Amino acid sequence: MSHVDLDVLADLALDPTDAPEDVREHVASCPDCTALLASLGDVRRLAGAEPLVSAPAGLRDRVLAEARSTPQSTDRPADDTADRPPPPVPLVPSRARRRRIPAWAAGLAAVVTLLAGLGLGRLTAGETSPAPEERATVVAATALTSLDSDAPRGTAEAVRDDGAVTLRVSARELGDAIGFHEVWLINVDGTRMVSLGVLASGDTGEFQVPRGVLEDGYRIVDISVEPHDGDPTHSGVSLARGELA
Amino acid sequence: MVSGVREFEEDQDDDVRSLAARLVSGEETALEAVYDRWSALVHTYALRALGDVHDAEDVTQQVFVAAWRSRHTLTPTPGALPSWLLGIARHKVADVRASRARDAGRIAAAASLPEARDVAEQSADEDVTERLVVRQAVEELPDPRRTIMFLAFWEGCSHTEIAEAVGLPLGTVKSHVRRGLISLHQQLEGVRRESR
Repeated sequence: MSHVDLDVLADLALDPTDAPEDVREHVASCPDCTALLASLGDVRRLAGAEPLVSAPAGLRDRVLAEARSTPQSTDRPADDTADRPPPPVPLVPSRARRRRIPAWAAGLAAVVTLLAGLGLGRLTAGETSPAPEERATVVAATALTSLDSDAPRGTAEAVRDDGAVTLRVSARELGDAIGFHEVWLINVDGTRMVSLGVLASGDTGEFQVPRGVLEDGYRIVDISVEPHDGDPTHSGVSLARGELA
Repeated sequence: MVSGVREFEEDQDDDVRSLAARLVSGEETALEAVYDRWSALVHTYALRALGDVHDAEDVTQQVFVAAWRSRHTLTPTPGALPSWLLGIARHKVADVRASRARDAGRIAAAASLPEARDVAEQSADEDVTERLVVRQAVEELPDPRRTIMFLAFWEGCSHTEIAEAVGLPLGTVKSHVRRGLISLHQQLEGVRRESR
């Protein structure tokens, strides 16, 4: 028989005697159903905890005050970009892979823009006056960090060689969430992003950067974990980020 | 047969999804709602993990402020919010523990057996977390399912006893317990996926 319906498995977890013979036989011989039954049983085992303890009364106000005190400059653009859908600005003509950026990323990108200042200057300098005798020049680099804890996640650097730009990614501690790791460049305008490819083996890789995109503001390096679901858009789960400067 | 049993859990999922989406887009009222709904979960977790009222309070504050500042990393799916908050809480609790170890000059001791210590702490943490997640999930169920689940899982009542207590047909009670179990299971799995 095919896998047992979740409702039937739940009944079985609640009362092992309350199931037709064929259901019990299937579960006994099927690792998936056995595992699911066991984790349903876990819920029963884990039930019984004492009531939760509310946080102290004054804490709510302190949290909200501290959240509001997040520099206004970082909040306002996030709100602005979230209020209206980002315009679908073409990155490169027609066929190239390009996507609109989801609102969650747009906010952050906008935030980063404001903090970027110096980055643009350095990037531009590196690009307008490349030392002719040096064939490969690092024109921009960044440390990568985790988004929730700022923990270090490696580095990325943009290398220009005879006009072609390559992004060298050397990540680490990306975790073992199920899925593959995809490298993106997010535009600091908060509305566009481009996929560079996947970290196919290990945590390092080199990616060709489409001509001109760094100059266009695609400077935020982002590594996402992508489930094997065939959806080519960003999963929304970023493991590491940094802005090239 | 039992109408309305499935509908309200889908409503719940939608609530969480839209709350997450509002948070991501930077609405302060969403932060308030998220705080009201999950601060007890985060606070209780921190309290159990750290055993200190003040540290637990600090961690709770840090978690929600960090959640606000890094809200762009949240994927608005049902179940993602509590696991995401607990994920942040785990980092903050680890920070407090590391700082305690430094303060006590126990770095050498801690460093000599880092894995054994981590594994023991992690597995104790996981159990605490999962129990709290289940408790939180049952608290959130709308009545009568919430009462039915408490009677079934916390008080150990039989379905027949529950049917009498709440004045509902036996079939309806069974259905609520079954769907309740599945709903708690989904919450738990959400947190497990996140912490893997």
